[in-house]
Amino acid sequence: MNAEVMEHTMRLRQMGADVQVINSKMCFVVFPLEEFDVAYCYNVNKKGKYFLERIKPYPLALREFDKEQDAIDIIEIDLEQFKNAVKSHNIEAFIEINKRLNETLMKFEDLFLYYNVPKEETDIISIQLDQIDEEIRKTKETAKRVYFKKNPEHL
Amino acid sequence: MVLQNQLVIAIGVFSVTYLIIMSEKLNRTAVAMVGAFLMLILNVEGQEQAFSHIDFNTIGLLVGMMIIVNIMKKSGIFEYVAIKAAKMAKGEPWKILVAFSIITAISSALLDNVTTILLIVPVTLVITDSLELNPVPFLVPEILIANIGGTATLIGDPPNIMIGSATGLGFMDFLVNLAPVVVVIFIVTMLVFKFLFKKQYNCEDHNKFKILQMDENRAIKDMVLLKKSLFVLGFTILGFILHQSLGYESATIALFFASVLLLISKVDVEDIFLEIEWPTLFFFMSLFILVGALEDVGVMEYLAEKLLSVTKGDPFMSTLLVLWVSAIASSFLDNIPFVATMIPLIKSMGAMSGMDIGPLWWALALGACLGGNGTLVGASANVIVSGMLSRHGHKLSFMDYMKVGFPLMILSIIISSIYLTIFYV
Repeated sequence: MNAEVMEHTMRLRQMGADVQVINSKMCFVVFPLEEFDVAYCYNVNKKGKYFLERIKPYPLALREFDKEQDAIDIIEIDLEQFKNAVKSHNIEAFIEINKRLNETLMKFEDLFLYYNVPKEETDIISIQLDQIDEEIRKTKETAKRVYFKKNPEHL
Repeated sequence: MVLQNQLVIAIGVFSVTYLIIMSEKLNRTAVAMVGAFLMLILNVEGQEQAFSHIDFNTIGLLVGMMIIVNIMKKSGIFEYVAIKAAKMAKGEPWKILVAFSIITAISSALLDNVTTILLIVPVTLVITDSLELNPVPFLVPEILIANIGGTATLIGDPPNIMIGSATGLGFMDFLVNLAPVVVVIFIVTMLVFKFLFKKQYNCEDHNKFKILQMDENRAIKDMVLLKKSLFVLGFTILGFILHQSLGYESATIALFFASVLLLISKVDVEDIFLEIEWPTLFFFMSLFILVGALEDVGVMEYLAEKLLSVTKGDPFMSTLLVLWVSAIASSFLDNIPFVATMIPLIKSMGAMSGMDIGPLWWALALGACLGGNGTLVGASANVIVSGMLSRHGHKLSFMDYMKVGFPLMILSIIISSIYLTIFYV
């Protein structure tokens, strides 16, 4: 494994990167719920940094924490919310929409990286995103709140 | 009656352990440890006596060198030297192979072979990838050269460390007696590759340009660490050269400079200790206990008697027998348990016949180290390269390797036979 790390770092350094190799432990955590599994992956290292990612049922962006307890707290709350969400009759649609949003994000990235997109087209996409944002905001105003242990971070 | 029971048990435990290690079906360290401690559980010998068989000079030397290498490799020195060499070769594949083979030979003489291979193979893969060439014709000579280079010094290969520790032969003894023949074998091996496999070392000109565009300075991760590591390594080698005249064991030198480097390098000590190859060290310790038990019950004396009756105490016959048996055995078996068994056997031969066993140690070192080149399972370095190649989508089968490795191993043993005959017997 050390030899492979050495090969990778040599290639990356020749590409101009600054590479730091840190000994760490990778933890894979799976909670089997009735409808689906909720899975996380986090990394513990001696530098006191914890990188947490949800893998299932759909990916959650990478987050960095300073304390191990923060990572456990986030997992605990996330899991509780999923256990609540499982009871909802909308759960399948909710997961499906999240997966589609992730796919859309990847398609948009390909569009941006592989093609020269005219400004008018990006404006159209931006307007449609505003519409989705507005729809989420309106729904939040009218829907009943079901989880109170922690406030939403992005709404 | 008790002694006879102990004899039967010791031979039984040793043989079964050896067979399971050879089968490679189970982890060799775990098997050797079970075998070693069975000797204690079955009362072949007591704990104190068993532990007294462990050669802590060998263990200490291995630990010390592992620490120094683990710290040193963090500086990027190896990648720097390799890129610099590839650029000096102007991206010419054959010249790169020669340069990398020289680096491999020198490194494996100063570090252990597995470490050398773990350092040179990643660099070779990056270079051959840039040249758009198959890495196998580069890695096979590197395997052979790592095992050949390691033969030249006391610290180059575990069999030499074990022989040196058991006999009191020092760094300079190994260098003076083995380096000349190793240089000859190195040159002959490279010439064979040059004439038999030259078609494999051609590439497009635009790929050579990719090598020239590489920046060796980017490989240096920590210039301060690099200077400290080279400084300490220089003193360590000087210490090995002078250790006999200073009256120090080689392990004292290695461990002292390893601890100095740990202190001044400011690396994470815990990280460095995590990278020490503990399974290898416990494998060694278990083998010392296993072979020590055989020695205590008189098996080695019996085998030495039989061997002497075959060679009739003739130094020429004995030397060539040890050389060729060691080479063939080490081609297929792990050379560490083989050498661990041969050391007390040769000592017993010397004690019983009164003959000069000096040449036998050089025959054992040459046979055990060079024999590892014979097959893909002959040495740890070979197995590691095969695994790394398969992860890169290339296959190095047992037979593919043997077609090249075995004849070259035989050639190296013929050269060694001539050398030993002319200079020692």
